[in-house]
Amino acid sequence: MSLLLPVAHALVARKDLPIPAWLFAWGASIVLIISFFALSAAWRKPRFEQERWRPVGAGFSRALLSMPVQVLCGVVGIFLLGFSIYAGLHGTEAPDRNFALTFIFVTAWLGFPLFSVIFGDVFRPFNPWRAIGRMVGGAFSAVAGQRPGHLTYPERLGRWPAAIGLLAVVWLEVVYGASGGVAVGLSPDAAGLAALIYSIYTLAMMALFGVEKWCQRGEIFSVYFGMFSQLGTFGVKDGRLGRRLPLSASTHWATVPGSAAVVIASIASTSFDGAQEGAFKSGILQTFEWLAEAGFSLTTSLRLTDTIFMLLCFAGVGLVYLIGVRGMATVRGAPPLKKLREGFAHTLIPIAFAYLVAHYFSLFVFQEQAQFTYLLSDPLGTATTDLFGTASGGIDFKLLSANAIWYVQVGALVIGHVVGLTLAHDRATAYWGDYRQAARSQYWMLAVMVAFTCFGLYLLSVANA
Amino acid sequence: MNSNAMRAAVGVAVIVVAIVLLVVLRKSDSSNTTSNTSGKVPTIVVKNGKPVGGVRNLTYNKGEQIRFKVESDVSDEVHVHGYDIMKDVKAGGSVSFDFPANIEGVFEAELEGRKEQIIELTVNP
Repeated sequence: MSLLLPVAHALVARKDLPIPAWLFAWGASIVLIISFFALSAAWRKPRFEQERWRPVGAGFSRALLSMPVQVLCGVVGIFLLGFSIYAGLHGTEAPDRNFALTFIFVTAWLGFPLFSVIFGDVFRPFNPWRAIGRMVGGAFSAVAGQRPGHLTYPERLGRWPAAIGLLAVVWLEVVYGASGGVAVGLSPDAAGLAALIYSIYTLAMMALFGVEKWCQRGEIFSVYFGMFSQLGTFGVKDGRLGRRLPLSASTHWATVPGSAAVVIASIASTSFDGAQEGAFKSGILQTFEWLAEAGFSLTTSLRLTDTIFMLLCFAGVGLVYLIGVRGMATVRGAPPLKKLREGFAHTLIPIAFAYLVAHYFSLFVFQEQAQFTYLLSDPLGTATTDLFGTASGGIDFKLLSANAIWYVQVGALVIGHVVGLTLAHDRATAYWGDYRQAARSQYWMLAVMVAFTCFGLYLLSVANA
Repeated sequence: MNSNAMRAAVGVAVIVVAIVLLVVLRKSDSSNTTSNTSGKVPTIVVKNGKPVGGVRNLTYNKGEQIRFKVESDVSDEVHVHGYDIMKDVKAGGSVSFDFPANIEGVFEAELEGRKEQIIELTVNP
């Protein structure tokens, strides 16, 4: 082969070692054993359909949700967005030395899913576009003496704008940055420009449909991070912070159309990122050469190839889910197909989270060291500033041993599998009055979950994300 | 278990066994690649700014000594990422590396100025 497709991640100086065959075998075996156990020893009544939400201390809740705190969080969010755009456009073009790329695609993009699971929807107060939208709306109300009017959001669209947007973000991160047939990764100025364009688009949509409505349906980051917050125990209800049964909020998340597409897009984009240098490598190379010979420029060929494979991932993950849903529909007493399709989408959220942890855990740990040392003190990468005295710091790659990374990766997939199965079984007992039919329907979801988990393990065994 | 359950169980088992076999077989294929722990020091020859024979795979176990030599017809800086070791090489000259394999993972060595990868360095635990 004369053409080489180098690394897509311009940030990482290190890739994970593939998990060894013995660990793969153990992981897959454990998944299988747990799955059989789940078939036999399952409960008969739904446990997660009710949130059982109860408020935390009133003083703490009031302080945390008070207007000054909201304004402060909003200002922090706006500052970080503005600074990322500025650093992207005016900082160094070395991707690993510019604040913008690491902050947007590692600290925020990978950090918020993690913190959302632990602490609830923490992105909401920091969402810079929501903060700007609320300020503008407040100013409008003060001047005009009435609240701004909005178009009615077409509910048929549901969360589809966010699902497509999610694919677009990952596309920008791992596909767009190509030059002359070489994947060079996204450049900081392109990232800055993209953030600027997305800000304008988001604010326009908020003006059209209302700030909160757009955050619930179309704003990529709100919808995506909000999805993960459904798994956790903390949630705000009627302006009050409270705790609920973990996982329970997710059971009603997917009733909005397009929600399944958001979860599937998440699993698919992580799969693609993991597979492009491993499982899909030869396929990508062949398609790339074929397109290049067909007369496309090298850059176009590479982008086109990656786009095709990314969409194939989306279609593939979606197909596996839909087969599972179709299968469940054949079980006696099944609700209509549409209800099944929406009713089990949330069971994939733990799988999506497990995929994120498995593929990006080491990247996150290593790259955050950069974020809090040289990228903090020298955000523009000019080598002339040292704001906090940490500009000469670096990444300690000895922090995590290969073994530690492997166990976290396999552990995340196995736990995600168990949680997904739990949610699916729980939903089945709610949909099928008869316990035995509910259990029968779950052979299908079990096959879906085993497929995703083993595919995840397989990706880890051949690829270095 | 009823027959439906049996069918599903068999199906799942077949899928898992197939994937396990696939991976194990793949691994035994790739284990044929040469290790560089003994014998002479591997030399990477760079012609017109590109490695002859493509990116070289060098594999070590943690604790071993990593040794290799780069002969280049262009002047550039050889940068071993992760280990962050940099050495200049002059056009027509060569440069030798000798350092302990103490960080696990997969790393690139590249001609820094050209952004051209010449080595894929794998350090197993």
